[in-house]
Amino acid sequence: MSGPRVDAKVVMLGKESVGKTSLVERYVHQRFLVGPYQNTIGAAFVAKSVQVRDKVVTLGIWDTAGSERYEAMSRIYYRGAKAAIVCYDLTDSSSFLRAKFWVKELQNCEEHCKIYLCGTKTDLIEADRSARQVDYHDVQDFADEIKAQYFETSSKTGRSVEDLFRKVAADYISTTFEVMSEERGVNLEQKKDPFFYSCCHN
Amino acid sequence: MSQKFERRGIHVDQSELLCKKGCGYYGNTSWQGLCSKCWREEYQRARQKQIQEDWALAEKLQREEEAAYASSQGAQSQPQPSLAPFSKFEEKKTNEKTRKVTTVKKFFSPSSRTASKKAPSEKVEKVPGARERHGETLLRDLRGIFTPPWEMVSPTEENHEGKTPSPSVSRQSSTETDRVSRDFVEFLKNLQKPGREIHKQCRAFIESMANKKDLGADELSECVQDFYQNMSDRLLTHFKGSTDRVERVMDQVEKYIMTRLYKNVFCPETTDDEKKDLATQNRIRALHWVTIQMLCVPVDEEIPEVSDSVVKAITDIIEMDSKRVPRDKLACITRCSKHIFNAIRVTKNEPASADDFLPALIYIVLKANPPRLQSNIQYITRFCNPSRLMSGEDGYYFTNLCCAVAFIEKLDAQSLNLSPEDFERYMSGQMSPCRPEPEAWPSAGPGISPALREARRSLDLLASLEARQERVLEGARTLESDLIDWQESVEREVREILGRFPLEVRPPASAIDSDNVENDRLPPPLQPQVFAG
Ligand SMILES: Nc1nc2c(ncn2[C@@H]2O[C@H](COP(=O)(O)OP(=O)(O)O)[C@@H](O)[C@H]2O)c(=O)[nH]1
Ligand SMILES: [Mg+2]
Ligand SMILES: [Zn+2]
Repeated sequence: MSGPRVDAKVVMLGKESVGKTSLVERYVHQRFLVGPYQNTIGAAFVAKSVQVRDKVVTLGIWDTAGSERYEAMSRIYYRGAKAAIVCYDLTDSSSFLRAKFWVKELQNCEEHCKIYLCGTKTDLIEADRSARQVDYHDVQDFADEIKAQYFETSSKTGRSVEDLFRKVAADYISTTFEVMSEERGVNLEQKKDPFFYSCCHN
Repeated sequence: MSQKFERRGIHVDQSELLCKKGCGYYGNTSWQGLCSKCWREEYQRARQKQIQEDWALAEKLQREEEAAYASSQGAQSQPQPSLAPFSKFEEKKTNEKTRKVTTVKKFFSPSSRTASKKAPSEKVEKVPGARERHGETLLRDLRGIFTPPWEMVSPTEENHEGKTPSPSVSRQSSTETDRVSRDFVEFLKNLQKPGREIHKQCRAFIESMANKKDLGADELSECVQDFYQNMSDRLLTHFKGSTDRVERVMDQVEKYIMTRLYKNVFCPETTDDEKKDLATQNRIRALHWVTIQMLCVPVDEEIPEVSDSVVKAITDIIEMDSKRVPRDKLACITRCSKHIFNAIRVTKNEPASADDFLPALIYIVLKANPPRLQSNIQYITRFCNPSRLMSGEDGYYFTNLCCAVAFIEKLDAQSLNLSPEDFERYMSGQMSPCRPEPEAWPSAGPGISPALREARRSLDLLASLEARQERVLEGARTLESDLIDWQESVEREVREILGRFPLEVRPPASAIDSDNVENDRLPPPLQPQVFAG
């Protein structure tokens, strides 16, 4: 009843109406949904299995309430997140300032959370170049500075949406796989011991 | 109009769900129809009475026990409680009397002895050494009878009358604990040898926790979390990286150890969980005037399916308090959330989003005023297996509940788009947003209470039933006259046929053999025989 086991928590952050919910909707209600679980009750929480080469990882994508009145609570949301997709609207410079604020918050409070910057609504810019309010190179500099990945997406056309989540999944797999292979090395040395070779508490 | 109200049972009448004390909050059948607050007050009163009676009994039994002990000269072995007590509760009672506000909970906590200690400590003389311990054990066992109903599988299984309680009657391990232990062993059997190991580890851990009585809540949590971590690391090695199997075992491990630790680590006295519980409860009461419109919740309780989901959501969130295992509590939150999603989906005719869900959950929490909300949140946070809590769907709903509580705590005029003046007036009870113009309330105003709306809906339904009944009566009358017509027509027909074919009355056929042509083939009639002598 409590849905599938989820490997990694991914939170969506950003100012109201930058397109967080649309991004999740676009990603999830489009094409291949691996795994037995279909979220039919709403898009607030979505579990999605992603296959990257020979590994499958299940992302738990956490959408947050958009209204400003709940913004103060966001800190509770990103606790324990493995990845945060910090969104801003490419046609709204104030939303990029807000994104910078979230990044600072995350760096201070969740050091193990990987940050992905996501400029949304590229379709609007493709239609009208003057609509762009956030300069590509400014974002790139900022991304370099905080060592974050950077994407520009459109939930309308689907551009780069898949790439974004795929990258999140791939990064998660590569970090956990490293940890697991380290552990396996240790286990080989203990192979002769019976199950639970020692007491696990004092 | 009020007479019509007496015909209930057509709908789930919202007013029947409200607290019987009329305080305006939802009642719960397991609390005899009262809300959590009123129930506690009631319960405390009844409790106090019972405690006095029980103590009288306890004293009597203690005297008997001591007499028996004295006569056996200490030859017998000391009965030990099945689980070593967290004796911090017995040591730290110095400031008890000053903490009047928080005494309520102590009646819920079998390991606490606040109110109960006063009376006998004055009357019962302390017996030194082992005999004192013996007496203490007995009293502690009797206190086991005080276990609140939600900690028991079935109240009837405990000897409430206490007519002949022996120390073994009410060992702290209740029937539920026993059942959980049996299930755990059954589950582990399938794992064979590692199963035995897991069982051993869990038992050792529970015993070790009994010695950590002086630790604060955070340290207790750390111990349990370390244990989970260690156990799942080992399981991961054993199952060669199959996280699903690890998870399955860990769920059982959590169930087993937390059922046993619950009493001592839920809302422990070393924390201010309980103070927060009361503060939140009062806060929610003070916010009784907040309407669904102020929170912008897309839930239309006029729709029966929606109001049904709302009631279920409220019931689920209230039920959380009755569970012992963190994951079971979490499951209540998840069920509540799914009902909320359903209410939104039906109202909006499209799937709910995070924007709708959080405000709706806030609304449900305000309506339900769930008992010991802060304690439950803290307990789940401290003792739930983190893999559930941090990333999965349950964790998402739990996090939203935490946000809802945080929002309710901080809620101000701005969060409801009200002027600070109005907010103050509502908070102080000078004004109610529902009734700015009293003559308007029976009409379908937006701020009208769900109970009234429900009543109006029942009235409408009664009216339509009346119309239908009228139609049925009409039909019956038609049928009656049709039947009369039919009877007449049948009679007419019969008479007509009789006229056309008049009856020829023949003489009745005579004795059986008179006209019988085959008579001679029959054997001669039997003659009566006469037997002599
Ligand atoms: N043209 C265009 N509009 C978008 C895109 N993403 C979101 N929107 C619109 O932006 C508004 C806000 O989107 P929403 O996903 O609700 O934002 P949220 O508050 O961050 O969840 C909606 O009207 C969307 O239709 C996009 O990629 N292209
Ligand atoms: Mg949104
Ligand atoms: Zn009440």
